[in-house]
Amino acid sequence: MPAQTEEILEHLDAISFVAGRDARAALPAVGHLGDSACLRYLEAGRDLFFYDREAGKAFFHATPDLVRAFGGLEPWLDQSRIFLTQRGTFRAAVGYFGQAAAVREHFGPEGEKLWYGLGSEWIPRHVDSAAAYFQMPVATLVGAFPVGELERLVAPARELASGRPGLATYLEGAVRVRAICGLDGIAEWAWRGKDVLAAGRIRGEAWYRLESDEARSFVLDMLPGFHLGPHRRLFTLLLQAWTGLALPFEDGAWSMEGGRAFLETDGRSLFVPAVMPDREEAILALYHTGAHLAFGSYDQDAIHALFREIGMEHPPLDPGQRITWRPLFARFGGDLLRFQLVFDLCEDLRVDAAMECRMPGYLDRILAAASRQPVPAGAAGAYWKEAVRFLDDCLRGTVDEDLKPLLSPGAGILESFRVALGRYATTALPAITMAERPAAFLPGHSPNAARPVYPRHGGAAVPVDLDDVAPPGASGPREKPREIPQQADGSDADLEIPPEDLQGRGGRVGVGIPIPAKANGSGRGVKGPAGGCPYPEWDYRQQRYKEGWARVHERKLAERDGIRAMAIASEYEGTLRRLKKALQAQKPARMAPLRRQYDGDEPDIDAAVQFVVERRAGHSPRSSIYRQRRPQRRDTAVLLLADLSTSIMAEAGDTGVRVVDRLRAAMMLFGEALMEVGDPFALYGFASKYHHEVLLYPIKRFEDQFDSQVRAVLGGLSGRLATRMGAAVRHATRQMVRNPAHHRLLLILSDGRPADYDDGGDPRYLQEDTRMALREAQDHGVHAFCISLDPGGGEYLPRVFGQGHYLVLSHIDHLPARLPEIYLRLRGHA
Amino acid sequence: MSHHVQAHPDRQLRYVTAEPFYQPVGSEVGVFMAAWSRRLPVMLKGPTGCGKTRFLEHMAWRLKRPLITVSCHEDLTSSDLVGRFLIEGDATVWQDGPLTRAVREGAICYLDEIVEARTDTTVVIHPLTDHRRHLPIDKLGTEIAAHPDFLLVISYNPGYQTVLKDLKPSTKQRFVGMNFSYPSPAVESGIVMKEAGIDTRRSARLVEAAARARNLRDQGLQEVTSTRALVYAGTLMAAGLEPMEAVEAAIVSPQTDDVELASALREIFQAFFPD
Repeated sequence: MPAQTEEILEHLDAISFVAGRDARAALPAVGHLGDSACLRYLEAGRDLFFYDREAGKAFFHATPDLVRAFGGLEPWLDQSRIFLTQRGTFRAAVGYFGQAAAVREHFGPEGEKLWYGLGSEWIPRHVDSAAAYFQMPVATLVGAFPVGELERLVAPARELASGRPGLATYLEGAVRVRAICGLDGIAEWAWRGKDVLAAGRIRGEAWYRLESDEARSFVLDMLPGFHLGPHRRLFTLLLQAWTGLALPFEDGAWSMEGGRAFLETDGRSLFVPAVMPDREEAILALYHTGAHLAFGSYDQDAIHALFREIGMEHPPLDPGQRITWRPLFARFGGDLLRFQLVFDLCEDLRVDAAMECRMPGYLDRILAAASRQPVPAGAAGAYWKEAVRFLDDCLRGTVDEDLKPLLSPGAGILESFRVALGRYATTALPAITMAERPAAFLPGHSPNAARPVYPRHGGAAVPVDLDDVAPPGASGPREKPREIPQQADGSDADLEIPPEDLQGRGGRVGVGIPIPAKANGSGRGVKGPAGGCPYPEWDYRQQRYKEGWARVHERKLAERDGIRAMAIASEYEGTLRRLKKALQAQKPARMAPLRRQYDGDEPDIDAAVQFVVERRAGHSPRSSIYRQRRPQRRDTAVLLLADLSTSIMAEAGDTGVRVVDRLRAAMMLFGEALMEVGDPFALYGFASKYHHEVLLYPIKRFEDQFDSQVRAVLGGLSGRLATRMGAAVRHATRQMVRNPAHHRLLLILSDGRPADYDDGGDPRYLQEDTRMALREAQDHGVHAFCISLDPGGGEYLPRVFGQGHYLVLSHIDHLPARLPEIYLRLRGHA
Repeated sequence: MSHHVQAHPDRQLRYVTAEPFYQPVGSEVGVFMAAWSRRLPVMLKGPTGCGKTRFLEHMAWRLKRPLITVSCHEDLTSSDLVGRFLIEGDATVWQDGPLTRAVREGAICYLDEIVEARTDTTVVIHPLTDHRRHLPIDKLGTEIAAHPDFLLVISYNPGYQTVLKDLKPSTKQRFVGMNFSYPSPAVESGIVMKEAGIDTRRSARLVEAAARARNLRDQGLQEVTSTRALVYAGTLMAAGLEPMEAVEAAIVSPQTDDVELASALREIFQAFFPD
């Protein structure tokens, strides 16, 4: 061994036992390269060890692999010197030495050079970034893409240089984004992230880690395929058209990173994935799920019968009162998936055949969609082919003998279960794993018993709720985690309500046995505030009024948010401008001269001729022969009564938009439009907490100006408490009767059915009371019209408001623009 | 005063000579005949395009009575209905309005979309609608007793636009009310087939699709797909258009400007008329 080599080894021994030992251990791997190479090698190792102990250790440990992979010292020995140029590079070095050999083996010298180059350029820039880069497993880093594309993965991060957030944050997200959206998506995502980062570091980092909703929704937007989000309204319409059902849509559990996208239901909502492969598959999925709902897959009676079949008196319920399917399959143990799939095949055939009767060509569409895709490999393929055969046979009328009961009109899920049991006993279908299962379904189809379900009553209508667990004032199924309601005037937060009252829903105790709702729950002598206007309330069960039962208190809304008001105004500037333009275009009509006046600037020719004629005929006609040009006074007054219950704080399906956001904008635009039109108008909000505390918030009375104060109040609107609509209608009617206008319109804006904490869980009670209140209003010459955001509104609105006196807006985003338009239409343009 | 003459007394009233096709869906013909036999005024309620006007034409033909139709609008005044003086040469001439004419000559007077007229207009019909059966004409200072065959019929569409324009209950109560809605699928299919001149298969499909489309009533459609729209679509098919072209032209584009709604309608009809 040359003296110089010996000297270095001794030097290493001197500084650390480990250093000497590791160096000696590594040396044999290098020995065959010759003395000078050995020397160079040891010098580099020593320098690294002196510079950083961990880096040196990694160097010596990795040596045998590196030499083998690279076939020598080049170029890794030189490459490793980069770690000597900055302080704190040891983590990067450890990562590099740990992976370099594998990189060289997998991606060749060019690939290794690129990998090293992209990482090392971060060492002078930001050491932690370099560490994150070299430490990321190279398989993850490269992913399914050619190694040459690494450049495109990392390049956008250079823009973000100057240290924050650095590659550590960036890479993790970027790799995922690349997997989801491909390389093209990365640049856009990173570019947008820069803006987000500029707005705030924490927000920015959350973006790059894909932890924030905004980042997730952005990525979802870029996903290839058919995006369901923008088409939810279409889906709502189609579901309603084909099945008569109005179910809310919610985001499905489907995660971004793969798996097959399924549309699912729990019998009460539809859970839609963000993206499906194409429009046809999405529509078929909607139809198929609609068929399950319409043809009784979730009918309570059928499900009860099903559980009786396996010897259980009642299906087990989860804490949300949903039926869980598990016991049905429990007895199949390890072969559970196979039976589930056979059951799905039978049940899908049953509902698909029924749907075909309603929608000719439906089966053809499924088969066509299936034929456009390759048959999945393995076990899944067998199920896929079996499903295709079932549908094919069904179309040709040649279904297997044992399947025939499924096609009879009265068949239900119980028949499917029996047929499935029979089939399962003899089936040749292979066993299947959980991972293979998703591929086994035809386009638009999905596992039927995937989620616990809310049983449906008698098919069509969504049950009007006995087992609704949501707090009152909400439209049940749409309830979502919500913002904590603001305190208004210090006396009416949800928090003050005794917890036991929050359940005021009748409820179900034990296993699946509905307990009749107790009417008018609270009689617990909770004292409301003093004062207020008493109003009667209609009790439909007794068919009489309860005199003075509801007390309405007028309160001022304390919260003001002028800044948000301005933000809303600027957000809707375009809409408002269009609206005003449309209104101005109508102005000539509105300025139309008043005919047959007793005085005025010019004669009314028709009237004058008639006057002369009648005089000649010997009559004494009225001398109203003038025309006047002055702005015609509209003879309509409108009071907008907005439901301010807690539920408006909920998100309205789509990402991050809450009902209240649109409500604020809608009321603001309404006010602006009415200013332009010139009709007298008032804006009120209402909420309630028990019958003795119905709160009416005058935002703008008829006599008030629509000024920045009012706008600020609108900007600060928030939700609280429940929805006792009848009392609010009575009070609003009293305000309107004072107005001398010829037509009086009470426009009610609501997102759910009337409900209050003390309605005893009987939804009908307050609905009937509201109906009576509206009838009273009608008797006072006040016409009411309801604009509802409740997708299930079709069930009770006709009864409460009467046919033609309500409108369900399925898309909350349309509310701001539609509200003024609806008013104008109601009032009549001319 | 003495020189009032009837303007154009010889102008003929319109008789419905050829039988208008009308397919009864319930007891409406019987109810109408009973009302007619006692000369009770009739109110036809129902959505656009469900056959109110056609029904009345048919009844006028059946009863062999002349039919005078007035489409009401916001500027319709009572003198538009009752009549007015005109100057002819040196004389003033009284010209009967359509209502007066019907009253004198025993026609059926049909006030279409009565809610559109001003409320004061509707008051003039009150004395005609009860046992008095006469029409006061202020300007002539007379009251004319109705011809024994005179019948008053009004129609209105209790829809979304008319929330503020409902008929006064006191007016409504004077009429025999008849509700019209879209006929049952079998009947409607027969109507579409006959009116449009298309085969049963296509008419049945149009009707089935319409039943689905009508589920969208509360979803922003002011008027749902009417029988008339189906007949139009069928007629266009008979005239050689492809089914979906006809649907687009006669149903989708007249009904909505809303993109999503239009695409939902298209999707529904497409299922029944695949290319």
